[in-house]
Amino acid sequence: MPGVLGYASNISVKDLLEYTNAKRRDSGLSELRLNAALSAAAKLKAEDMFKNQYWAHVSPSGKEPWDFILSQNYDYIYAGENLAKNFNNSKDVVEAWMKSQSHRENLLSPNYDEIGFAVVNGVMDGYETTLVVQMFGRPRTASQVASVYEEQAVLEKEAKATAAVSERESSVTTAGVAGGAPSGEMSVYTPVEAPAKPTIDVTTAAKTVSAVFGGFVGTLLALDVWYSRKKQIRKFNGHTLAHLGVLVLVVASIWFVLTPGIVL
Amino acid sequence: MVCSYPGDSLMKEKTDTHLLEYSVLLIFMVLLVLLFYYFRYDHVVLIFLSGIASISYILWGIIHHALEGRLTKFVAMEYIAFGLLVFLLFFTVLNF
Repeated sequence: MPGVLGYASNISVKDLLEYTNAKRRDSGLSELRLNAALSAAAKLKAEDMFKNQYWAHVSPSGKEPWDFILSQNYDYIYAGENLAKNFNNSKDVVEAWMKSQSHRENLLSPNYDEIGFAVVNGVMDGYETTLVVQMFGRPRTASQVASVYEEQAVLEKEAKATAAVSERESSVTTAGVAGGAPSGEMSVYTPVEAPAKPTIDVTTAAKTVSAVFGGFVGTLLALDVWYSRKKQIRKFNGHTLAHLGVLVLVVASIWFVLTPGIVL
Repeated sequence: MVCSYPGDSLMKEKTDTHLLEYSVLLIFMVLLVLLFYYFRYDHVVLIFLSGIASISYILWGIIHHALEGRLTKFVAMEYIAFGLLVFLLFFTVLNF
């Protein structure tokens, strides 16, 4: 049943913009202005990925990021795209992009003046997934760069849409229609029947699986050590303590090191 | 008393070898955890690192037992099975 197992996230466009601009400020670069057309292009891209079930910069039909940007009549001289999925919060998304060289180059490029974001929930490969699309651009003429007022308008629309989505998520049990929130907003894409939020969070499920598996095998190994010592049984097998040590490290890695998010 | 001296020496030598071999395993595993942390957002690299971790543990077990002179087919199978279990656990979790 799609949507039962998924990723629970708390990502907002406002936070993504703040963290992105903070990274640019730290590198001595100018801040990027949130642009409605780029945000609309980002939303179209995210919805296209859910609709056609792919996770790539180029769609299976050959559609490139620039096609989405141009479809919003955004005339650019430079443009770029960063993707992320399955993150829990905005900070982790930006940190993950900063960790990857190609994404960092986009994020810290002096060639861009504007940015657009889309945070869209939907079902991909049977899991409730949150996709984040970040699109960069420099308009052909400097006068086309969004003003502070335009940016504020986009953020206000985003805040209203987020509230509307939260309200809808709390009232909707099954959905059969596509989410229609305005551009640059947290929206819900639900082309198939699925709950707005997953019943089981994948991160929790992964940790539980590792704990149950590790606990079971670990207990067996510990019992083996205890019983052999108690009965003074001389064994000709491997070192159980080494197995236990490795198992503890594996479970600890899954609990404390692994994060669910992926960037592209 | 006369016979115990070489016996003690042998035991000490064996303990030192054990310590060295376990230290190698510990250092390698800690290094892998650090690499896991560094590449935590790249699941392809993480699956690759899981494979490396499993293979290195299997190799460690086999070499360790071969040096001790008690490597048998059963022991080798045990390390292979445990290495596969470790890889399967990582692979399952990373493909959720």
